[in-house]
Amino acid sequence: MSSPSATLVAGEGTAAAVSPRQPRPPRRNGSRLFPLWLLTPAGLVMIALVLVPIAFLVFTSFTDYNQRSLFTGAFDFIGFDQYTKIFADPDFWWSVVRTLLFTAAMVVGTIVIGMGMAQLLTRLGTVMRYVVTVVMIFAWAMPTVASSQVWNWLFQPGYGVVNWLLTQTHLFGDMTNVAWSNNPFLAYVCIWLLIVWGGVPLIALTLYAAQTQVDPAYLEAARLDGAGEAKIYFSIVLTFLRPTLLLMTILSVIWDFNVFNQIWLVSQGGPNNATATLGIFAYKTAFVGTQVGTGSAITVVTTIMLLVVTAFYIRNLLRSGEDL
Amino acid sequence: MSTIVEPVATAEAGAVEETADRVVTKAKRGKRPRIVSNVIAVVFSVVWIFPVYWMINTAFKPRNEVMSSTPIFFPHSPTLSNFIAAFTESDFLLNLRNSVIVVVGTLIVAIALGALASAALSRFRFRGRRTILVVILAVQMLPGTALLIPQFLVFNNLGLTNNYFGLILAYVAATLPFSIWVMRGFFVAIPVELEEAARIDGASEFRILWSVLFPLVTPGIIATSIFAFIAAWNDYLVAYTFMSDQSMYTLPVWLVSFTTPTTGTDFGGQMAASVLFSLPVVVFFLIIQRNLVSGMSAGAVKG
Repeated sequence: MSSPSATLVAGEGTAAAVSPRQPRPPRRNGSRLFPLWLLTPAGLVMIALVLVPIAFLVFTSFTDYNQRSLFTGAFDFIGFDQYTKIFADPDFWWSVVRTLLFTAAMVVGTIVIGMGMAQLLTRLGTVMRYVVTVVMIFAWAMPTVASSQVWNWLFQPGYGVVNWLLTQTHLFGDMTNVAWSNNPFLAYVCIWLLIVWGGVPLIALTLYAAQTQVDPAYLEAARLDGAGEAKIYFSIVLTFLRPTLLLMTILSVIWDFNVFNQIWLVSQGGPNNATATLGIFAYKTAFVGTQVGTGSAITVVTTIMLLVVTAFYIRNLLRSGEDL
Repeated sequence: MSTIVEPVATAEAGAVEETADRVVTKAKRGKRPRIVSNVIAVVFSVVWIFPVYWMINTAFKPRNEVMSSTPIFFPHSPTLSNFIAAFTESDFLLNLRNSVIVVVGTLIVAIALGALASAALSRFRFRGRRTILVVILAVQMLPGTALLIPQFLVFNNLGLTNNYFGLILAYVAATLPFSIWVMRGFFVAIPVELEEAARIDGASEFRILWSVLFPLVTPGIIATSIFAFIAAWNDYLVAYTFMSDQSMYTLPVWLVSFTTPTTGTDFGGQMAASVLFSLPVVVFFLIIQRNLVSGMSAGAVKG
């Protein structure tokens, strides 16, 4: 199948990164302006809808834009006051710590389970592999809004099937009426499970795709030399997986750092802001508390943190053979 | 339907395993690892599919079976009443219409502009091209609130909140960068020779684009449209912030605010609503599964 899907894989330099680069069209003098014409509409839209708003966000973070301003349109330029305010606010720092720890927990969870599943997929027969793949596609396809609602139902006090199951195990006593979202630790566990459940399929399938590209001759040679399966995995397979693994890790960091729906729909950032990661914290400040200026400042700081990770992502994409 | 990975690679892996088995004999790698692997696979599958099963299972239960302190793992008397209630007692159809209008509007604008831009960024070399691509990638990674806050302020002043056009613009801003990025991958794959042949025949640049490149890149346009569809269809945050009237809600907002006239949260109804809302996405995932891994891992779609 000379499908574009196969070439897309190669072109995007991820799953099956190893493939020759496409030859580039030569520079043509007569048509210099043509690409600019093609770019203009998208460029104007991007400038108007993305770059200008970002500039406006930065500007707003230096103003006292609040509820009053929403109605009157009046606000004052107050310099760095919003930043000094958030940097002096322990709630903000707690939010930073929470975001970092929670992101780390989610990324480790998805990556470790994803790697395990990718390895498992290589050891399964055709039928079982097909079953697991289809199961993963279903979990992956569920929109986060829908899966968050399902989670609320699974973990419902009184009627939640998870509460019932845990009670049946007698490990934690009677869990029947536990309200997960009312307890900071349990709320985190619940959201963590939701995000790992939704995140594993992509990681597992991508790593599996990369793993099938490992030259079988290496594995065979190692087996002949008497290497154990664990040793083969850690010293050979993992070496081949490294570029893909790194990309998936960086992407997971960016995604999990930005998680909004699942937290908002399961706990609304509660109880008492205990699950308010930076995105939730900024949203609540800007839209629930209508301290738009403060919310903007939080978002600017969040964006800067993410840009650092994004820079890593782009650098790695370039290194892994992506020809920009 | 086939599995996500290339069947060739799978066959190879299988063959290797067999040879290895023969070489190392049954000493270490007998039947046991297979059984262990299969057991893990079964456990994993059950755990991973359970939430989906529980959603579907609940959707078909009558209210007394939903609210049972001992869970009912298979509906005793399955009913369609939850689905019927979603259609008749809620704003499902109205909000479905809103979703369709907004998603279709987004697709038309994002795909048209994205196709032109990605053609420029893949078939031509010019100064600033790399910078543009890096900006596109960086924009794709921005936190949700980064665009939401300023867009809300501006759109609110322009009267574009609670308005289809405003929501479409917000979605175009969100989907255009990855549309350009994904379609670019398809354009890059077209051999230069085709373009050159057309040029030798005297075709204009526009003609080459329209008659040679676009037809070849159609599968890419379709795949990108589906990505953009899923992104706009699934968005909750922007729609929830922009649309204040219940009559302007899109389906995700409807799904969250779902309550029927009966008191308390109607979980049967909510799960039926979740099924209705997820169905198109699941269908599309199954259709484009071959492109999914590559497209999504290219940073195309935010998790």
